[in-house]
Amino acid sequence: MTGITRRVSSTLELSGVSRFFGQVRALDGLDLKVNPGELVALLGPSGCGKTTALRIVAGLEHASAGNLTVNGVRYNETPAHQRDMGMVFQSYSLFPNLDVTENIEYGLRARKIPARDRSKRVSEMLALVELGSKAKAFPHQLSGGQQQRVALARALAIEPNVLLLDEPLSALDAQVRSQIREEIRRIQIELGITTLFVTHDQEEAMSIADRVGVMNHGKLEQIDTPIELYTNPSSPFVASFVGLANRIPGEVTAAGGVRILNQSISLSRAVSTFAPGTKITAIIRPETLILTSENDPDATRGLIALKSFLGPLTKLGIAVEGSPLIHINISSSDVKHLEIGQHISFKVAASEVMAEHA
Amino acid sequence: MAAIMKVSPFKWIFIGASAFLSLLIFVFPLFAAATYSFRGEAGKGRSLANYRWLLEQDGFYPNLFASLKLAAIAGILTLLLMVPTMVFLNLKAQRFKPLIDFLCILPLIIPVVSLAIGAQVAMPEVIQNSEYELVFFFVIIALPYTYRAIDTSLQTVQLKTLVEASRSLGASWFATILRVIVPAIRSGILGALFLAFALGIGEYTITSLLHWETFPTWTVVAAQQNILGAIAISVFSFIGAIALLTLISLLSRRGTKRESLESENEGALS
Repeated sequence: MTGITRRVSSTLELSGVSRFFGQVRALDGLDLKVNPGELVALLGPSGCGKTTALRIVAGLEHASAGNLTVNGVRYNETPAHQRDMGMVFQSYSLFPNLDVTENIEYGLRARKIPARDRSKRVSEMLALVELGSKAKAFPHQLSGGQQQRVALARALAIEPNVLLLDEPLSALDAQVRSQIREEIRRIQIELGITTLFVTHDQEEAMSIADRVGVMNHGKLEQIDTPIELYTNPSSPFVASFVGLANRIPGEVTAAGGVRILNQSISLSRAVSTFAPGTKITAIIRPETLILTSENDPDATRGLIALKSFLGPLTKLGIAVEGSPLIHINISSSDVKHLEIGQHISFKVAASEVMAEHA
Repeated sequence: MAAIMKVSPFKWIFIGASAFLSLLIFVFPLFAAATYSFRGEAGKGRSLANYRWLLEQDGFYPNLFASLKLAAIAGILTLLLMVPTMVFLNLKAQRFKPLIDFLCILPLIIPVVSLAIGAQVAMPEVIQNSEYELVFFFVIIALPYTYRAIDTSLQTVQLKTLVEASRSLGASWFATILRVIVPAIRSGILGALFLAFALGIGEYTITSLLHWETFPTWTVVAAQQNILGAIAISVFSFIGAIALLTLISLLSRRGTKRESLESENEGALS
C-alpha cells in the first residue's frame, strides 16, 4: 500500500450518446453508467464504437447527440483540458523530451500545483507504479511495460474524476501484458477510481473488469458481470464474441426447441422465437459438451481429429458428419486414453442453447 | 580494415575522383579566396589590411546590423506563423495539405520581380514605407524550405497522441505547443529558423528592386572600390554562415546530449 489517500469516486453516465461521421453512425445512442470506484470494460470488434465512446468521455471527440455527465454535471461542452480525466493511450504517448518525473508532473504543472506538492505527488506515483529507480530516465530508455506504467502514473497524478484506458496493453508482449493488467487492477482497487477501459481482447476485459459492456455497430449489446456475460449472453453476437463457441447447424422443432446433433434442446429465452422448421446455427460452449456412453440416446458419434493439450484442460476437435469441427474442452486427466482417429460419443449438457438464423 | 581492403580498384578510382572534384569545386576556391583576402597592401605580403578596410567602412556596421535585425525578425516571424499553422494543418486539416504544399512552392516558381512588385502593392502603405517590408519578403522566399523542414519534423512524431495526452492532462493549446510540440520538433524548428535567417541575411534581388540598403546590397557597392576587400567580405560572410550553422547544430544536439548524460547516470537500461 502507498500513502495515497483515496478521493471520492465519481459516477460517469452516458445517456443516448451518438456520434456521426458523415453518414456513418460510429456510436448509436449509447447508454452507460459507471458507478463510483467501478471498472467497466467496453469490449467489441474493430469499428464497434468503443474507442469513440472513450474519446467522447475524454473530450477528444464531441457527441453528436446525447448527454455525458460526471456526478450529475453535464460535461458535453467542457473542453478536454478542463475535464479532469486521466487517459492512458495504446501507444504510451509519453513526452519524449521529458524524463519520467517531468512526464508525471506535467498535469500538475498545468494545474499550477506548487513545486513541493508536485514533488511529493510524483514520489507517491513512482512508488505506486514501482518505478522509483527510473525517475530521471527518458521514455526511450524504458521498456514498453515501464513506459505504460509511467503513462498510468501520469494519468493518476492529477487525481482524475475518471480514469480512461484506451487499449493500454495492446502494444505489449503477452507476459508483460498480463503483469501490467494485474497492476492496473491493483492500483484501480487501491485508489478506488472510477475507470472505463476499452479493449478488443476479451481475456483482458473479463479478467479485470467489474462489468463488461459488449459493443457492436455502435450499440451496447449487453453489459454485465463477466460471468453473467459468459453464461447468459443476451444475443447470439455476445455468445459468439465472448468466449469460444461451437457453431452447430440445427433446426427448430415443432415444440419450439432446436434439434442439433442427435438431441432436442430448449432455445434460450434471450433470442426471438423461430418458426418450426427454421434452419438455425446453435452457439454452444466447448465446456457444455461432455463425453458420454454410446448407448446414451442423446449421444452423437464422432471421430477425434484434433487433440491439443492446454494444461489442466485438453481440447478435442471432433469431426461429425454435416457439421464443422466440434471442439470439446475436457479435463486432461480424463482424456489420456483418447487418441486422434478414435471414435467417441458426446452430447450437449446444457439445458438451453443460444441460436441465430443459419 | 579488412573491409577497406575488399573495396575494388574501380571504386577507389571513383572515390578519388569524387574527392578531387570536391576539392576543386569547393575547397580550392575557398582556400584561394582566403589566401587573397590576407594579401597586404598592393597585393604584397600577408596582413589583415583588407579586413581592417572592411571594418572601417562607414556602411559596414549599420548595414550588417540592419540585415541581422531583419533576418532575425524574419526567422522569428516564420516560426510564429509556421509552427501553429503546420500543427493545425497536420492535426485538423490534413485534406488541405496538398494545396498548402503547392502554395508553399510558389515563391520558387514566381519570378522575383513579379513577387516583389506584386506583393509590395498588396501591403499597407505604412509597411511599404518601412524597411520592415523586407521581413515579409524574407518569410515568403524562405517558405518552400521552412515549410518542409517543419513538416518533416512533424511527420516523425506522434503528433495527435502527444497533443491529446497533453490536453487530457489539463494543458492549454499554448502550453501544449510550447512544452510538447516545440521540443519534439526542435531540430525542424531550428532548421527552419536557420533557413529563414540565412535566406534573409543573404537576400539581394528583392532588396535591390525595392531600393533598400542591407548588407548584401552594400557589399556589392563596397566591393567595387576594393577587389581584395570584396574577397575579404566573401570570406567574412562564409565564416559567419559556418559559425551560424555550427551554433544551430550545437543547439539542436543539446537536448540529445542531455538525454545521453542522463542515460549514463541511469546505468544499465532495461
